[in-house]
Amino acid sequence: MALLTEEPGITGLARARGRSGIRCLGALIALFLWAVPGRQAGAADAPTREYLVKAAFLFNFTQFVEWPAAAFPDDAAPIRLGILGEDPFGRAIDDTVQGETVRNRPLVVVRSRRADELKDCHLVFVARSERSRLDEVAEAFDQAPVLTVSDCDGFTRLGGMIGFFLDGAKVRFEINPSEALSHGLKLSAQLLSLGRLVGPEIGAPPR
Amino acid sequence: MPFPVDQPTPSCHPLRTAHRGWRSGVALVPSVLAVALSTAAAQEVERDPPPAAPPEDPTTYKKLSLAELMEVDVIVTSVSRRPEKLSGTASAIQVVTQEDIRRSGATRLPEALRQVSNLQIAQVDSRQWAISARGFNATSANKMLVMIDGRTIYTPLFAGVFWDKQDTFLPDVERIEVVSGPGATLWGANAVNGVISVVTKSARDTQGLYVEGGGGTELRAMGGARYGDRLAEDVHYRVYAKQLFRDDAATPAGDDRSDQMQMGQGGMRIDWDASPTSLVTLQGDIYHGDVEQPTLDDVTFRGGNVLGRWTQRLAEESSLSLQSYYDRTDRRIPGSISSQVDTWDVDFQHHFPLGTRNDLVWGLGYRIFVDDIENAPTIALYPESVSRELFTGFIQDEIELSQDELYLTLGTKVGHNDYSGYEVQPSARIAYRPARRHTIWAAVSRAVRSPSRVDRELFIPATPPYTIAGGEGFDSEKMWAYELGYRVQPVDWLSLSLSLFYNDYDDLRSREQVAPPAPTPTVLANGLHGYSYGAEFAGDARLLEWLRLRCGYTELRIDLRPDSDSTDTSDGSGESHDSEHTVYVRPSLELPWRMELDCTFRYISEIANQDVPAYAELEARLGWMARRDLELSVVGQNLLHDRHSEFGVPATRAEIERGVYGKVVWRF
Repeated sequence: MALLTEEPGITGLARARGRSGIRCLGALIALFLWAVPGRQAGAADAPTREYLVKAAFLFNFTQFVEWPAAAFPDDAAPIRLGILGEDPFGRAIDDTVQGETVRNRPLVVVRSRRADELKDCHLVFVARSERSRLDEVAEAFDQAPVLTVSDCDGFTRLGGMIGFFLDGAKVRFEINPSEALSHGLKLSAQLLSLGRLVGPEIGAPPR
Repeated sequence: MPFPVDQPTPSCHPLRTAHRGWRSGVALVPSVLAVALSTAAAQEVERDPPPAAPPEDPTTYKKLSLAELMEVDVIVTSVSRRPEKLSGTASAIQVVTQEDIRRSGATRLPEALRQVSNLQIAQVDSRQWAISARGFNATSANKMLVMIDGRTIYTPLFAGVFWDKQDTFLPDVERIEVVSGPGATLWGANAVNGVISVVTKSARDTQGLYVEGGGGTELRAMGGARYGDRLAEDVHYRVYAKQLFRDDAATPAGDDRSDQMQMGQGGMRIDWDASPTSLVTLQGDIYHGDVEQPTLDDVTFRGGNVLGRWTQRLAEESSLSLQSYYDRTDRRIPGSISSQVDTWDVDFQHHFPLGTRNDLVWGLGYRIFVDDIENAPTIALYPESVSRELFTGFIQDEIELSQDELYLTLGTKVGHNDYSGYEVQPSARIAYRPARRHTIWAAVSRAVRSPSRVDRELFIPATPPYTIAGGEGFDSEKMWAYELGYRVQPVDWLSLSLSLFYNDYDDLRSREQVAPPAPTPTVLANGLHGYSYGAEFAGDARLLEWLRLRCGYTELRIDLRPDSDSTDTSDGSGESHDSEHTVYVRPSLELPWRMELDCTFRYISEIANQDVPAYAELEARLGWMARRDLELSVVGQNLLHDRHSEFGVPATRAEIERGVYGKVVWRF
């Protein structure tokens, strides 16, 4: 009790550290830290519900975008989904597109930490690890018929096309249709009606 | 009795000033004088790089349409202290989102809470509120656990919340989770009748400049600003400040009640994504305010807090979090008890799967508060300074009895507090999901409200002969709760939930005559028992693209009786002031020209033991997004009457007047 009166707060915590009780607790925590089954997994191993849902969104997006014919080498060529940066989905994205076809095209997932390696993709998800390089990312896909999607803040203002955001506990997205158009992509009206529109000539309000 | 917390009328039932302190602690590490951890933390823990999620099949989501995906709640944490999907939650929970808050025109936390129908909420005067779930409402309602970002905000003096000073910058709130019913197993202290958890956004989600300002008739003036930026690659911060001035409430005759108030608050938050699997948060607030009193000097309050939290994801579905906070609050009430309270709290939580069917969460908590009281001649707490400790520990296991269909959750909290010693609060919940979007759940829980400072140490007046001479023998109030619920989303655009409850209370607070039949002195004791039962219904219908309709109905009955050996004659009229019926209807409309209209109609039936008549009221907000960065709105509160009363006995209660204000918001 005296802890507080003598040294409030964090300092008090530090001072208390010498007491035996703390050491007990520390040992207990340490025990659980290491005794728990599993390993120090990277994000990729444990997608959260948020990313399970976002993976489903990505799959859905492919159904509402029309790519120019030139974006595919042939009629059977797959739709390529690229993950740029530190993959937050893990297997979730692979499981989501597994066995699916969109307009008779199968989907494949490719991953890279370099934007230029994903230029032949049709949809690229830009992970948060890239958030300091969004300008460069937009530049890398300049003119290419690639639908760019991300959950980095301000993505659609920095040349991105679809940006996820959280509204309360729900995943929502904003769309920059003029950016998509300038890359030769056609977005369906249904997609546009569900997203929050942003961009130069759309006066739509941020919510 | 009216129950102005600040000016308890000596002769009235000071009882209701209930409070309670903390609940119990854990026995797990009794030797740990210094650091354990306490309950509150966890909640928001699970956000950004969300450390843990229940096991799920990724392919369940790909079958959903875009519109359906947009309705999936990816985070809800109050119930299990880890994220859950709302529709599958086995408890009576309602969530207020940022969008709900923005569109309600709320300027303070209690106003934001007015959107859920599973709370009893009454505005007492210009600044005081009575808020509780499932009954026992009072200005000092003492059976609710209320938290902001994991920091417990009810006062250890009487276990209720000083709603005038407990606030946050509302545009930075991500969501408010409101659970009616006991949450004691996981949350412990005070979570007897409900839990209110306010969660603010990560600093990463509040970047840039936001400025708002406005004013009107009741809300005289308000202004606030927030700025967020990046300190380094993975470190984001925000700072904010706000100020508001509120006009007086009215007397029944229509005169000013001389209780106008002003309050200012500022704070910051830093979030550091230390690695892809760990998140460190540091946040704090400071505030000050004063409230006019009719004859005496102003009530003043000030305080601050700082909180640190570290969350580490260990492996798939396994995470660890450690949180600590320090809170100081000081309240000067001329004519009543003035207090300074320091609270320090540490909370630890660990979540991991065991085998394929068990999902475990356990945690430890420690809290200590030290107060320094300045007594008044009419009312006193003795001794004038105390320090009290609370140890808690909990463990809960969610067992998947049948895949994706039947879940059993068993858990218990064990605590130790300085007043009533060890307390055990177990619960069992079962959830049955016969089909997608259908959840039937049932629960049995035990919860206790352990004694707080006023229950044991309150003296009225400050010197003999006393009317109330403490409550030396006051023990915990106990409850067994039985709940049954159903949540369903029959079609995409409609969701419904219904909860039924029966609560059996024993050892409730009473006033016992020391030497009957002499009416005084009295002491506080545990001579009341009783039960409550009721139903809570909530519906949410997106009828048209531009029209959403939400409604709620709560039915509540409470019956409290003295024990056979009790001399209390109140029948609980000092402990519970509740309406039997509460109705909410909330249409939200999207209008042309980027305008939006939201209305909240409420009907609250009479509070019989205070003679507060039934009333119906309406709030409305019309907003216009004039430009992408500029939002204008006009808000009307309590529009149907010039003034009406919501709480308190006729002699002293305040009337709440119609209020209208305008507001401008800029986002840069």
